[in-house]
Amino acid sequence: MSAQSTLFSERAEKWRFKSRFSERTRNAVIFSSSLILLVYVLAPVAWLLSSSFQSEAEIVSVPPHWIPHEPTLENFDAIFFQEFEEVTYDTRRKVDPAAGGYIPSTAKDLVPSMWNSFIVSVSVVILNLLVGIPAAYAMAKIRFWGRQASVYTILTTRVIPDIALVVPFFLVIKNLGLLDHVLSLIITYLAVTIPFTVFILVSYFESLPDELDKAARVDGCSRFQTMTQVFLPLALPSIVAVMLFAFLTSWNEFLLALMFTQTIASQTLPIVVASFTSDFTISFSFINAAGVVAIIPPVILALFFERYIVSGLTAGAVKG
Amino acid sequence: MARILFDNVTKYYGSVKAVDRLNLEIVDKEFLVLLGPSGCGKTTTLNMIAGLEELSEGDIYFDEQIVNFMPPHIRDVAMVFQSYALYPHKNVFDNIAFGLKMRKYDRAEIDKRVRDAAARLHIEHLLDRLPSQLSGGQRQRVALGRAMVRQPSVFLMDEPLSNLDAALRISMRAEIKQLHHSMETTFVYVTHDQAEALTLADRIVVMQEGVVQQIGTPDEIYEKPENLFVASFLGNPPINLLEGELAAEGGKMVFQKGGFRMHFPEDMTVKLQAHTGRAVTLGIRPEDVNEQGAAMPGSAVSGTVDTVLPMGSEQYLSMTIEGTEVFFRLGKEHKHKDGDSVSLEVNRNRLHVFDKETRRSMLWG
Repeated sequence: MSAQSTLFSERAEKWRFKSRFSERTRNAVIFSSSLILLVYVLAPVAWLLSSSFQSEAEIVSVPPHWIPHEPTLENFDAIFFQEFEEVTYDTRRKVDPAAGGYIPSTAKDLVPSMWNSFIVSVSVVILNLLVGIPAAYAMAKIRFWGRQASVYTILTTRVIPDIALVVPFFLVIKNLGLLDHVLSLIITYLAVTIPFTVFILVSYFESLPDELDKAARVDGCSRFQTMTQVFLPLALPSIVAVMLFAFLTSWNEFLLALMFTQTIASQTLPIVVASFTSDFTISFSFINAAGVVAIIPPVILALFFERYIVSGLTAGAVKG
Repeated sequence: MARILFDNVTKYYGSVKAVDRLNLEIVDKEFLVLLGPSGCGKTTTLNMIAGLEELSEGDIYFDEQIVNFMPPHIRDVAMVFQSYALYPHKNVFDNIAFGLKMRKYDRAEIDKRVRDAAARLHIEHLLDRLPSQLSGGQRQRVALGRAMVRQPSVFLMDEPLSNLDAALRISMRAEIKQLHHSMETTFVYVTHDQAEALTLADRIVVMQEGVVQQIGTPDEIYEKPENLFVASFLGNPPINLLEGELAAEGGKMVFQKGGFRMHFPEDMTVKLQAHTGRAVTLGIRPEDVNEQGAAMPGSAVSGTVDTVLPMGSEQYLSMTIEGTEVFFRLGKEHKHKDGDSVSLEVNRNRLHVFDKETRRSMLWG
């Protein structure tokens, strides 16, 4: 081996070592950054979960415990089974929340409100799809007068903050006689979610080639069949994404629900959970348990559709 | 059976005229090619046959029936697209079968037809694959199969070969021609590729900016172009064009441009003699010259060769005539090199003369 080639192989060895080292460093940095981010995102949820299994006394103890010393199901038991006992100003000291066992006056509303939330969310999702898919298909693939204008109009409605719409919404709902009715929420949530649904689906449908639309129509599909037979199956990831968006928006919405609902006939989960803080005494453990119950349906949904969500939100052109 | 008739059809996109007063009859079982540069309205014309575009004015007839407002799924047409437009979520079998399913054929019939078509296109072994797992040529065959199984009365093709590589394109051309013979149905084929048009067509419609320039058999279009656009659009290398004027010389008509003169043969003289002094464009196809025989002044191009471009089976010579660069195509019997002085006999019966102002041929049309 000549001197020169030895030199080269030495250099190559050095370089190999360096690159292996830098790769490891890079991996370590990426790993630790993701870990920090993960902890940051998950910590509140972890605390919610942990404290829902703690008694009130344990929650307020210093220092707080991440892992319950005496895990209890009392809070969940209270949500589903306990009889309510009214607390008045006079009896407020009878049960000390810190000792556990205190239940807010609206606790019995929790399960019915969940049902309300469910009805509202599912209705909003279904109506979103019924309206959003045909609207998006038409805007993406049919050339009609005012097409661009309608896309922009729909987009524009998304820049208006919901709170600006509360008063007009309220008047409409009141005149329709729908105050304190779940329909009031379904109608207003549709107004909030459909623009987003249409926007996401329009951009997805637009990314599918026009020739696909033409091919289907020449192959014997009417416009409607083209949409259902060709575009729907292809848009599945985007459709799952908008379903989740509509569901979560409706499930979590607070402001409009606070305005339009008064009794448990129409109150949704966020309203009832919020009402737990308005008694004379507040039980954090109970509120946290209610919080856990509230996040279960969305979490199940997200886990179930997990593989669609990422591709749905990042979807572009279809290869093929 | 289907005869398609365009009666004064105009199509606007906004204020842009994509197709301008198109009158065209497509005969039953004909292979008609719409040829033109991109944006000439040929695809729009095809889409109007399919029912994918509505017309702005005029009528389209299938046989005796006006079909202006008939939606595509009711017309008995099939279409092959440039991008193939296969359904990405369906496998090859379902892609081919889709049109039959939508028309509610029974399962056994669908199966039989799909397998027949697949066998004819040599894609039987691919029936379970998804389009994303196929090569370009295979996708093209699936797209053909999808159109074939329906046995439509009109077969529409929108640049079906332009996404394929050159070798495959030539073999697919032959297959499409065979397909037309065996299917005995009307084919309308859109392309910007003159070679495709010339090889495939019974008749060619040359279009530019929404206006039909000429309709005719490939030979007519190539040999007797009615205007300058048609003459220069067909031919590779393109036709040589020299701008000059007509003059009379001893009872014969002559083209002259500076010192360059070209005598017209008898029959052309008859057609041209009323136009002495007119500014014209003379067209000489690159292949219409040869090196045999004594090159007489007035029937030859002489000069030095600027560049020799060997093409394997033949060679192109580039020369300059009175400041205009021209190309000629020659066999390889004579070896030429740059700077050689040559004199080439022009086949004068194949000259073209166009009025400089109207750009129309003064010999045909």
